[in-house]
Amino acid sequence: MSKSNLLFDVQDLAVKYPNGDFALHHVNFTVESPSFMAIIGPNGSGKSTLLKTALGLIRPTRGTIKMMGYDSVRDGHKIQRMVRYVPQRDQIGLNIPMKVKDIALMGRLLKKRPPRFASSKDKEITRQALEKVDMQDFWDRPFPELSGGQRQRVLVARALAGKGSILILDEPLAGTDAESQRLIVDALEDYHKNNDVSIVMVTHDLNPIHRMVKNVLLLKRTVIGIGAPCSIMDVDLLTKVYGPTARIVEYAGHRYCVTHDSGMDRHE
Amino acid sequence: MNEIFQLFTIPFFQRALIASILIAVVASTSGSFLVFRGLSFMTSGVAHAALGGAALGMFLQYSGIVPWFDPILGALIFSVLVAVVTGYAGESGISQKMEVAVGVSFALSMSIAVFLLHYIPPTQVPQVWGYLIGDILLLDNLDVILLGGTAAVLVLIALLFNKEYVYVSVDMEGSIAHGLNARAYHYMMLITSALAIAFATKAVGAILVYAIMVAPAAASNEIMRSVRGVMVTVFIFALISEIVGLAASLAIQASPSAIAGIIAALIYVVSMQVKRIRERAASNQDFPEVEDLSETFHESLSASAEQAHEHEHE
Repeated sequence: MSKSNLLFDVQDLAVKYPNGDFALHHVNFTVESPSFMAIIGPNGSGKSTLLKTALGLIRPTRGTIKMMGYDSVRDGHKIQRMVRYVPQRDQIGLNIPMKVKDIALMGRLLKKRPPRFASSKDKEITRQALEKVDMQDFWDRPFPELSGGQRQRVLVARALAGKGSILILDEPLAGTDAESQRLIVDALEDYHKNNDVSIVMVTHDLNPIHRMVKNVLLLKRTVIGIGAPCSIMDVDLLTKVYGPTARIVEYAGHRYCVTHDSGMDRHE
Repeated sequence: MNEIFQLFTIPFFQRALIASILIAVVASTSGSFLVFRGLSFMTSGVAHAALGGAALGMFLQYSGIVPWFDPILGALIFSVLVAVVTGYAGESGISQKMEVAVGVSFALSMSIAVFLLHYIPPTQVPQVWGYLIGDILLLDNLDVILLGGTAAVLVLIALLFNKEYVYVSVDMEGSIAHGLNARAYHYMMLITSALAIAFATKAVGAILVYAIMVAPAAASNEIMRSVRGVMVTVFIFALISEIVGLAASLAIQASPSAIAGIIAALIYVVSMQVKRIRERAASNQDFPEVEDLSETFHESLSASAEQAHEHEHE
């Protein structure tokens, strides 16, 4: 169903915020599919904007962004059919009495036609997805009453239960407890290994997913660097983005970064 | 006892009862979703827009500019305009922006109504105010049929698209990213609700409409834990309010809309209390754990205080 095997093909992309400032400019890069890709950069560096543009939610001011050969403007709906998206957690409205199962089932039901009844197969797959993030016991619990980390796990399960060859997550680890972080990272790693899917993750903090990431895109309104995690973990590169306080720590053969942006991470 | 049974044979009372049930259906199938969307204020905005539209319709009719223009047409057009403006403001999914749009449309349509009242023959002015106050005991058959049609359409839409409405409210961005035509459902929800509110306003008046559309849905949303549960309790709360209103109006010569509004508001206040009591009960259960931790904390505090003491002596 895909037109090319480039997960991303971005040419001279520029995107403006509604206030006229450039969120992104002169963005050029390609990433081959399948990949486990991380998009990192400080606050306001255009990470989420890049994703939303790729999904056809925002129109580029200049240039093009293609996913699997499909142009975000012309073929946005084709991209949306391939994608399962985990938005930032605070995008989810909490004044609606949704149960965990209602949220988790959205992943499957959104790709059906109205009236979108959940078949027993939908329920079974959704239950399995919740198991992967250890939330199966919360099936009938109200979603708004969960903790932040638990809500995030449900949203990841919603994506795991869905269909589509590309999984896109916007800051899935932001503000989560260590246990949720571990469960989410493990579930994603496991899923990526056993399924033919690409995973694209926007994150403040590369360290928790460092080991499994194939491509890292370092962004600050434009591409600062792209490559394997250890090549991005370069002091010169990171100080350029995060300022002079950025440091690299080597531990057990891997490089980890310490920035004032994300703080030091728990790494045993 | 016999007198009460005789009541049910009186046509105006029968119409009032049927209308009560239909308004409760409208509240359940439209009011619930508006409250989910964070748009309870839109009900009063649209109801007043209907008033402005009716005034415009009457002005056009009696000034001879457009003699065939029925006031209800004006009411429907204004209501849809409010829905479209509100929807445009909220396309990004931010409900605060929609509240502002509703507020502006509210002020605009009331201003238009008051401005035009001066140019409408004095004999027709009460008909405009009828849109505001209305009376469920004064309905004619056409009112009831229009209400019935509105309720039937809303039930059909709620059956078909309740998931889409909920998804758009709970996660607009995620829904679009998964290929849902969220914008279409967003506008459909607002426009059908606006039309329903306009028809209901014509029948029973704006005051009863916003009493019944908002308070029962807000009350149910406080205490119920599923979308379906909310919709069922909205229907029950709305019907109770209206029936009590009707009964009171016969017993003590009061406006049924006013009584229904007061009862609905009381139900909301009670629901908030129920929720608070429930939360308190839930937090009591967690208390022992917290106590244990605080003891450990105090111990460590005193231990470090002793240490600090020793340091001072060194």
